[in-house]
Amino acid sequence: MDESITFLHSSDWQLGMMRRFLGPDGQARWGQARLDAVARIGEVAERTGARFVVVTGDVFEHNQVERQTILRACEALKRIPVPVVLLPGNHDALEPGSLWTSAQWAAHKPDHVTVVVDESPLEIVPGVEIVGAPWRSRRPVSDPAAPGYAGLKPSTKRRILLAHGQLTSLSGGMSDVPTIDQAALEAAVADGRLQYVGLGDRHSTTQVTERIWFSGTQEVTAPEETHPGNVLAVTLAGDAITVEPQRVGAWHMVEHHAELDGEESLKALADWFAELPDKERTYVRLAADGSLPLPLMSQLEAMLDALGEVFASVEKWPKFWTVRPAPEAADLDALQLSGPARAAMEELRQALAGGDESAGAALTLMHRLARDAG
Amino acid sequence: MRLHSLTLRNFRGVAERTVQLPAIGTTVVVGDNEVGKSSLVEAFALVFDFPDDSKSKRIADVQPVGHDVAPEVTVELTLGGRELTYTKRWLKNRSTELSVIEPDGRRKTFTGREAHNEAERLFNENVDPVLWQTLMVSQGQSLILPTPADAEPLITAVTAESGTPVDGASMPLVSAVEHEYLRYWTPRGRPTGDFAKSAQAVSAAELRSAQAAKAMEEVVADIRRAERLALDLEDLTTRLAEHLKTVEELRVRKKETDEILLRRDSVRARAETARARLENHTRTRLERERLLDEVARFTTAAGELAELKAEAEKAAKASTDTLHAAEAALAEVVELKDDRRGDVQHAEQRVSELMDRAELDRLTGQQAELADVRARIAAASRVLDGIKVTDSLVAELEDARAKVVEARAALAAGVPEVLVRRLGSEKISLEGTGLDAGGAKVPPQLDEGAELSMLVSGELHVGVPGQLELTVRAGGDAASLRSLVDEAVRREKDLLKRAKVRDLQAARELLRKSDTASAELQEARRTERSLTAGGDPGERIALLAARLGVFGDEPAEEEEEAPKGKQQPAVENVPGQMSLFEEFAEDTFDFEDLVMPEPLAPDDLTGAQRALEDTRAELATAERLLGDAEFAAAQARKAADEDRSEAQQARARAELAAERVAAATAELEAARAVLADEDVDASEEKATAEVEAVLEELTAVQEQVDAAGADHVEGELADALAVAARLQGERDTLRDSLRTTEGRLEQSGRDGLATRQDTAELELAAVRAEHENLQRRAEAARRVHETLGRHRAAAQTKYSEPLQSRIEALGRSVYGPTFRVWLDDDLAVAERELEGNRLRVESLSTGAQEQLAIITRLAISHLVSTTENSVPVIFDDALGWSDKARLRDMGTLLGRAGDHGQVIILTCMPDRYEYVPKATFIKLQ
Repeated sequence: MDESITFLHSSDWQLGMMRRFLGPDGQARWGQARLDAVARIGEVAERTGARFVVVTGDVFEHNQVERQTILRACEALKRIPVPVVLLPGNHDALEPGSLWTSAQWAAHKPDHVTVVVDESPLEIVPGVEIVGAPWRSRRPVSDPAAPGYAGLKPSTKRRILLAHGQLTSLSGGMSDVPTIDQAALEAAVADGRLQYVGLGDRHSTTQVTERIWFSGTQEVTAPEETHPGNVLAVTLAGDAITVEPQRVGAWHMVEHHAELDGEESLKALADWFAELPDKERTYVRLAADGSLPLPLMSQLEAMLDALGEVFASVEKWPKFWTVRPAPEAADLDALQLSGPARAAMEELRQALAGGDESAGAALTLMHRLARDAG
Repeated sequence: MRLHSLTLRNFRGVAERTVQLPAIGTTVVVGDNEVGKSSLVEAFALVFDFPDDSKSKRIADVQPVGHDVAPEVTVELTLGGRELTYTKRWLKNRSTELSVIEPDGRRKTFTGREAHNEAERLFNENVDPVLWQTLMVSQGQSLILPTPADAEPLITAVTAESGTPVDGASMPLVSAVEHEYLRYWTPRGRPTGDFAKSAQAVSAAELRSAQAAKAMEEVVADIRRAERLALDLEDLTTRLAEHLKTVEELRVRKKETDEILLRRDSVRARAETARARLENHTRTRLERERLLDEVARFTTAAGELAELKAEAEKAAKASTDTLHAAEAALAEVVELKDDRRGDVQHAEQRVSELMDRAELDRLTGQQAELADVRARIAAASRVLDGIKVTDSLVAELEDARAKVVEARAALAAGVPEVLVRRLGSEKISLEGTGLDAGGAKVPPQLDEGAELSMLVSGELHVGVPGQLELTVRAGGDAASLRSLVDEAVRREKDLLKRAKVRDLQAARELLRKSDTASAELQEARRTERSLTAGGDPGERIALLAARLGVFGDEPAEEEEEAPKGKQQPAVENVPGQMSLFEEFAEDTFDFEDLVMPEPLAPDDLTGAQRALEDTRAELATAERLLGDAEFAAAQARKAADEDRSEAQQARARAELAAERVAAATAELEAARAVLADEDVDASEEKATAEVEAVLEELTAVQEQVDAAGADHVEGELADALAVAARLQGERDTLRDSLRTTEGRLEQSGRDGLATRQDTAELELAAVRAEHENLQRRAEAARRVHETLGRHRAAAQTKYSEPLQSRIEALGRSVYGPTFRVWLDDDLAVAERELEGNRLRVESLSTGAQEQLAIITRLAISHLVSTTENSVPVIFDDALGWSDKARLRDMGTLLGRAGDHGQVIILTCMPDRYEYVPKATFIKLQ
C-alpha cells in the first residue's frame, strides 16, 4: 500500500467523430489528430512510468463506426506500451450489437487491452484493483456509477473506480439521463472503499475533488471546451495522490466575437487572427456585429476568404453575425457614377437603410463591380 | 454640311456634268440608269477619301473604259460655316485644289497633299461619320433601319432636348453587372452554372443523408428491440423457472393421491359387478313373467284362428263349384259360336265360287270372238301385202297413158301415112324402119288383097320383086316424133311393171281392193283392242278355272293333268268340314237346339247370298251369348279366387298361432329347467342386498378422495405442464428473435452505418454551405441586375423621347394618329404600333419597313438640323416598295423635310416623287 504507483486517466476519445464545420479536408486531418493524440498518451506513459492506462468511456463515437476507425484505433492502442482498460460509455454502450461484442473488435483488439464488461473487480497490477460501471444502454435508469462500487467493502488493495456520466453538481439539472451521485462517491472515497474515481463524458479536464476527476477528451472537439486535449497522470503514493494534466492534443477550436465599426476594428480582427498559433490546426467560430462602409465590407469579405485558406476552418457564426454594410455618400461619389447606375445604387442604399437586409449584399456587390469596372 | 454643286469629268460614263443643289429643300435628281446618278454619291466619297496619287482600284474603276483620260471631281459645299471648293484629278495630270472661305471672309487655298489633308481634317471635324453613314442611303440600302446611338450630333441633340445626360461612363458597370448576373442566372432568370449545380448537389446530398439516417434509425430501432427482447427473455426465463417448481409439487401430490384412487377403483369395480348381478336377476324375473303371459295369450289366439280357417275353407269350396258351372256354360256357347262362324265361312265360299263361274263363262265367249277378229286381221294383212298399187302410182300411170296418146297423135300428124294394098298376086315385100301400123306388127309380106296402113317415121321400102321398089322416107322431124312416142310407151311399160298390172284399168281395180282391205283391217284391230282391254282373257280364264277346278276351252292335255278333287264341289272340299260332322256325331251334349243349314243349290247365286246373310245374323246372336257367358265366368272366377286366398290366409294364421304356442311353451319349460318359478324372486332380493352394501363402502372411499382433492391433481398437473410447454415455446421464440436482431446489429456494425451517416451529413453540410453562399451572391446579383435594369430602362425612355416623338410626329402624317414607336438602347426603332397593334419591326411588311427607315432618317435629320453638324439626307433610289397611296404621303413628308434641311433624292423613277411638294427636279441627260 505504501508503494507509489502511477497510471494515466483519459476519456472521450470518441474515435470516428466528425465535425461539419471543418469541411472534408479539415475533418480528415482532425480525425487523424485524435488518433495521434492517443499515440501520444503512450509517450506520456513511457515518460511518467505509468503502469497502466484507464479510459473512462466513449472510446468510440458510436457502436456503428466504420471498420477503418476500429482498426486504426487498435493500431493507436498498440502504441501504448502498458495495459489499457477501456470502459464502455454512452456513445459505445454495451448494448445489443455493441462494438465491444463484435467479431471485428474481437479479431483486432490488442492483447494488452481489457474492456470492462461487468462490475467484477480487475486486479490490473498487484495491489491495484479496478472496478467499473460500464454503460449497458444509452438510456440508463439510475446512477450510472453506482453499480461499480455498490456493495464494496474497504480493502487492503487500492481501488480505482471507472465511471462515465455527468455529476449532479455539474450538470445543473440539465442532463436528460440519470446523473452520478457525487455525495455517494465522496462517501465511498472518504471511507476508503475507493482511492481514485476516474470519470468520463465531460470533455474539459475537470477536478471534482482531490480524488475525483474528469480527464477530458484527448483532443478538442468543440470551441466550448475549456481544458481539452489532456491526459491525467495519477500517482498514488501512500495516502497521498497527485494528479497532473499532461497535454497530448494538438488542435485548437476557438470562438471569437468582434465589434466591427471601421478600419481600426477591422485591423484589430486581422491582428487577432495573426496571433493565433497552429493556424492550420485551428478552427475559429467568428461572431461579429456592427456596420462597415462598403469598401471595408468588401475588405472584410476578402480577409475572411483568405483566412479560410490558412486556418483549418474559419466559420461565420450565423447566429451571431450581424455585420451590415453602411454605404456613405462619399463611397458612392467616389465611384463617379451618373444616371441610372447612380440612381440604382441610391435605391439600394435607401432600401438597406430601411432595414432591407438583402439590399446590403446587393449594394456591396454593386459597389465592388463599379469599383472594378471604374 | 450643305452640298452646293458637284461636277464630274471623265468619271465612269460621264464626260462632264455639273449638278447644282439648293442649299435647303428637297432636290430630286432624275436620270435613267447608267447616266451616273450613283456616280454623284460615289464621286463625293472618293474626293475626300483618296488622294490624287492613289493607286486604289476604286479610282482605276471610275476611269471611262477605253479612254486614257483623267477622272476629275469638283465639289462645292459649306462645312462648319466655311465655303469650300474642292477639286481633285486622279491618274493623269494629278492635282488637288482646295479653296476655303472662312466665316470671316478670309480665303485660303491649298494644293496637292496639303489640300487633301486640309479637306479631310475639315470633313472629319465637322461631319460625324456615323451620322453621315446614317443619313446617306446608297442604292438598295433603303430598307435598313438606322441605329444612330453613336452619332455624336444626335446624342448632343437628344441630351439637350431631354435634359438627360448620356450615361456613357456607367456602360462598363452595366456590362459587369450583366456578366455577374449571367454567372448565376440564365437570361430568362433560371439558375445556371455553379449555382444550378450546387442546388443539384444539395438535393443529391440530402437524399444520401436521408438514406443513411434511415439506415441508422433502423439500427437504433433494432437496438431498442434487442434491449426489449433481452428484458422480456429474462422475465420469461424467471417465470418459467418458477412455474416448473409448481409442476414438481403437483407431481409429488399426485403420487400421494394415486393410492386412494386405486382403492376407490377396486370398490367401484366390485360395485359394478354387484350391480350387474342384480340386473341379471331382475332380467330373469321379468323374462319369466313375459313367458307365462305369452303362453296364455298365444293359446287363446290359436283357438280363434282355427275357427276362422274352417269357415273360410267352406266358402272357398262353394265359390269353386259356381265357377265350374259358369265355365261349362261358357264352353258350350263358344262351341255354338264356332259352328256359326263355320257356317258363315261356308256360305261365303259358296257365293264367291258362283261369281267366279259367271265370270269364267263371259271370258270364254270373249276369247272366241278375239280369235275370229285376229283371223280377219291376218287375211286383210295378206291382201294388203300382195297389192303394190298406190294412189300415186295410179296417178303416174294415168299420166303416162295420156303422154302415149298425145305422142301418137303428134306422130300421126307429122309423118306420112302410107296405105299399101295388094291388088294382085304379086308379092309385095315391106320393110323399113320407123313404121307404125297402129301398134300392129308390120309383116314382111303383104298377103293378097290385104291392105296395110302405117305411119312412116323412118323409111319404108315397098317392093314388088322385079317390078318395083318404092321407098317412102319420112320428113325432117319424123324421127323425133317417133322417139317421143317410144319414150312415152317405155315409161308406161315400166310403171305397169312396177304395179304388176296389165294396164291402167287393172291398176285402178287393185287400188280399190287395197282400200277395202285396209278398212277391214282397221276395224278388226279396234275390236281386238276392245276385247283385250281388261288383259288377256286367257290368263284370267286359267286363273278362274284353277280356282274352280273346271276347264272351258282348255286344251285336252291340261284337262288330263287336272287333279280329280278339283272337279268336286268346293264345299265338300273345305278341310275340317267332315271332322265337324264327326264331332256332331260323337258329341255327348244335347244338340237339339242346333239347326243344320240346308245345302245350297250350286248355281243359285242370289240364293247363296241370302243364305250368307242368314248365317251372319245367327253368328252375331251366338257372339252376344258368348259375351254374357264370359262375363258370368269372370265374375265367378274372381269370387272363387278371393275366397280361396281368404281360406289360405286363415289356414296360415292358424298354423302360425299353433307354432307360437309351441315355441312359447318350449321356452318356458327350458327356463324352468334352469330356475324354478318359485326361486326367481328370492335370488333377486339377495342380489339387491349385495349392491347396497358395496355402495356404502364406495361412498366412504369417495369421501377420502374428495378430502385429498385427488380427482383434480391430475388435471392440475396436465394444465401446469401445458403452461410450461407454452412458456418454453415463448422463450425459444424470444431467444430466436433476439439472435436475429443481434445478427442484424452485428452486420450493421460491420457496415459502419453511423460513420456513413456522419459522412453523408458532413457532405450535405458542405454542399449546403456552398449553395447558401452561392445563393446569397446570386440573389445579390439579381437584385443589382434588376435595380440597375429598371433605372436604365427609365432613363432610356426619357433619353430617347425626343427622337421618338419626332418619328411619331412624322409617322402620324403618313399612318394617322394611332402610329407609335419604341426605340431600343441604340435608339433604333424596335417596335411599331398601329391601330393598337404592336409589332417588332422585323415582322412588318417590306414597304412599311422602308417607310419607317425613311421616316426615322428624316426625324434624325430634323433633330440635328439645328446643330452645325447637320448633314444632308441622301436617298439613292428609295420608296421602291411603297404603293401609290403611301407614295403620296411619303412624298409630302420628304417635301416637308426639305423645310429644315437639305434632302437629296436620286432616282430613275421620278413618278415615285411626283407628290413631293416644292421639290427641285434636276434631270440628268
